[in-house]
Parts: sequence; C-alpha cells; structure tokens
Amino acid sequence: MLQTAKATFHRNMISMIRAYPWSFFLSHILSGIYTVLFAYFTYTYVFEGVLDSRFSNYAGTNDYLSYVFLGGALFSFAVSTLMNVSRSLITEQREGTLEALLLTPSSRKGYFLGNVTQQITRTLLEFLIILIFAFLLGLQFKHIHFLSAIFIWFCAVIGFFSQALLLGSVMLYFRDTYITQNTLFVTMAFVSGVTFPIGYLPEWVAPLSWMMPLTPALEAFRHSVLEGQGLAASGSQLLHLSFLSFLYLIVGSLGIKKTEKIVVEKIFS
Amino acid sequence: MIGWIRLFLAELKKEHRNMFHSRLVYFSLLIWPVIGFITSYYSFKPFSLNDNSPITRFVPPDHLVLFLLTGYLAYLFFWSLVQSAWQMGYERQSGTLEMIFLTPVHRLALIYGRSFSSLLESVWLFFTFVIMILFIVEGIQVDGWWSFPFAFFILFISAVIWGGFLNAIFLFSRDAGFFYTILDEPMLIFSGVRIPPLAFPIWAKGLALFFPLTYTLHIIRMLVMEAATFIEILPSFTVLLVVLLVLINISAFVIKKAENHMKQTGSMVLF
Repeated sequence: MLQTAKATFHRNMISMIRAYPWSFFLSHILSGIYTVLFAYFTYTYVFEGVLDSRFSNYAGTNDYLSYVFLGGALFSFAVSTLMNVSRSLITEQREGTLEALLLTPSSRKGYFLGNVTQQITRTLLEFLIILIFAFLLGLQFKHIHFLSAIFIWFCAVIGFFSQALLLGSVMLYFRDTYITQNTLFVTMAFVSGVTFPIGYLPEWVAPLSWMMPLTPALEAFRHSVLEGQGLAASGSQLLHLSFLSFLYLIVGSLGIKKTEKIVVEKIFS
Repeated sequence: MIGWIRLFLAELKKEHRNMFHSRLVYFSLLIWPVIGFITSYYSFKPFSLNDNSPITRFVPPDHLVLFLLTGYLAYLFFWSLVQSAWQMGYERQSGTLEMIFLTPVHRLALIYGRSFSSLLESVWLFFTFVIMILFIVEGIQVDGWWSFPFAFFILFISAVIWGGFLNAIFLFSRDAGFFYTILDEPMLIFSGVRIPPLAFPIWAKGLALFFPLTYTLHIIRMLVMEAATFIEILPSFTVLLVVLLVLINISAFVIKKAENHMKQTGSMVLF
C-alpha cells in the first residue's frame, strides 16, 4: 500500500509541476481571498463594526473578522481537498489512464493516500497564503493554542478525505464533476457556519449541517485558534468529526469499489 | 439585416441544443443562485440590523432583501455571460470555431447572438423566482408601471453587450478559465451586488467603475427602490449608454484583431 502511495505521490507531483502549473492553485487562493476581502468590506465599511447582540453568543467570540477569516480559509481548504481527491479518478478517466490503473493490482487505498498527501503539500500552501492575507487584514492569533490547532487541522483533513471518497464515487458513477461538486460546495458554504454561526439558521437545516465534516472541524478549529482552548474543550466536536469520518470512509470505500466495477462495464465493454 | 437575424436565430437554436442536454442544468439555473442568495442574506445576520445600524446610511435594513434580490438577479444576468464566454473555449477545441470563421457571417452578430441566447437560457428560471419573491418582499417603490419593463430592458441590453465583449476577449485565448476567476467574484464584490458601492473606500470605487454591472445596478435600484422618474435617472442612463458604446467598439476591434491574429498564426482549431 505504501509503495503505491509513494508512487502516486511522485507521479502526481510531476504531473502537477509539468502539466497544471498555476491556474487551479491561483483560483483557489483567489476565491479564499475574496471571501476574506468581502467580510472585511462588510464589517469595516458598511457596518462599521456594529454587531448583532446574539453574535458573540452563537459564535463564542466577539471578533467577527477573525471568525469569518478562519471560516473562509478552512472552507477553501476543504474545497481544495475535496475537489482534488474526488476528481482524481475521473481525471484518470478523462486522461485515459484509468484503464491502466484498474488493470494493475495496486492498492486503491494506497493510491488515494498518495493522492491526498500530494494534494496536501499544495493545499496547505494555499491555506497558509490565505491566512497570511487575512492576518494583514486583522486576523488575531493572540490566543492560539498551537498544538491543538494543528491536531484539529489534521483531523479535519481526514474528515475531508473520507468525504471526498464518497463524493468521488458519486462523481464517477454519474461521470459528472461540475454539477455534483458545485452543488456540494454551495451547500457547504451555506450550512457549515463559514461566514455566520449556524445558530442563525432555521432548525430544519440543522441535520444538513451536521452531515458536513466542515461544521465540527470549524467549530473546534475556532475554539483552539480564537479562544486558545485545548483539545478537551472541543471533545464533542472531535467525536462528531471522527464519527462522520468513519462513516464516510466506510461508505466511500465501498462506493468506490462498487462504481469501479460499474464503470469498467460501462466504459470498457 | 436578414443575414443578421438568421444568424442570430441559428446561434440561439444551437446554444439551446448545447445547453439543455440533461435535466441537471436546472441546478445551475435555479438551485445554485438561490442558495447563493440565501447564504448572502444570512451573512448579514451577525451584524446589527436595527434602525440605528450603520447600514441605514445606504439601505434601510428592512429593504435588505430587495437590495440583495435586485443585486443577485443582475449579477446572475452578467455571470451567465461570463460562463457562456468561457464555453467559447469548447467551440475552439471541438473545431467548430474554424468553420464559423470560414463562413461570411457577421462576427458581431455572432457574439451578440451567442450572448443573447445564453442569457435567455440561463436566467429565466431565477427570473421567475425573483418575480415571485417580489410579490412577497416589502420596499418596492416605483414611479409607474413602466419602471419594471424599463429596468428589465436596461439589464438585458447591458448584459448582452457585456457578454459580447467577453466572448470577443475569450476568442484570444484557449485557457480562459483564469479570466473566469478574475472576472467572476470581483464583479460580485465591487459592483455593489451585496454591498452598496457608496460604502467603498475610494480605490474600490475606482475598481467598481470598470464593471458595467455597477452602472446598471445603480439605475435598476433607483427605478425599483427609490421610485425614480425618467428625468431623475437620465444622467446615470446617459453614462451607461456611453459605457456600452465604448464596449461595443472595443469588442468590434478585439474581434478583428483576434481573427487576424488567428489567420496569421493558423491557430483557429486546437490551442
């Protein structure tokens, strides 16, 4: 498995550097930066910093800018991870290498593992650039509990990865990336508490936000970055996140296995 | 003239067949814009929206829904054209662009037919949604019945011309995905879809002037929210007309340049 992971990492690195150099990278960074910029404009110029009284209650902090900046940065990180991993198989199909991949006895888990580690080198860079930009506009790191923030970030990566497996099998089954991924992303932006606390949402939306790994990940991440709390404070969020990761991992790997068979019959027969 | 119309209709039919290949297109027609609109409404929730809120300097808080609704509708008109222009790339990749250029069709008619048809295709559903919502929300103030068709007319014309301009630009390059990133969200931020441009700092106001959507939206909101009479909007309307005229001229110039460039480098098909 590790051999496959290593090989995939290496191959993807080469293809990223040689074939897809800048456009994806830049567009992910820019869309994160636009979210940050938009929040800054709204807060500073339109509302002059006057917040709703319920905000600090729902959000656990009074610092609107940091709240939204972290949301925007983690959201675009989630989108990048989801997109890169879930699209990998369908990209193979489009580029004509899927057949070769399916014919080898290599471990599929290793393939995805290599894929996700390679993507992380890039998405982490995007994430950091967005954070730096947000820092210039007033993101506060004063209280950050560094170790727990990193741990939570790592858990979030696992969560997004599992979700991406499921998304990938859906995409491969329908042989569509555009509609599926964008529907998921606009929904995530709406229900996961990216730019506003989910407390404002009507109650019937709540099940939808619980289904997204981004929701608990963001809550826990904000606890440790903005409020400087350790892991103990985010216990329930981490439990929620690991439950979702586990569930999506199981369903996603089963789904990938199943759709692979269907795809083989559909495409290569 | 008959040639123009024939081409116009042909392009319309072609785009329709291209777009409506499956029911899934309804996602991009209705579901995404509606969710986007709702999300942006909720994004204002963390702020104070009572009568003392600083936003009252620009928009009364109870008119916020109407403000966002007009913004999103106009944005969607313009956005769908960015998308159609983006798909000009496929025309090139599949080799049909070369065939089109071999025929003696009028190039301007082609790009305006394109943008007109994709406009019709991509906004009618959301447009219906907005009309329905308009009956529910408060805050509509119009001078007379003429305000609605006039606002629609302005929106339509300026969107088509903007779309033609984008199509012309995208004739130049194969990798137009990048333009998409530069043009799409900045338009959302700077042209006043979600935040009133009056609130911007001066450099952002300057940026806003580059997007025709800014002028269009300004006039539409005057018409629908402030009960402006025709005389009142006349100055803004003149400015918009000038901007559109400049755009048409630039588009015509760019198409000529692009075609000459392609003839010389022989790169009409792939790449």
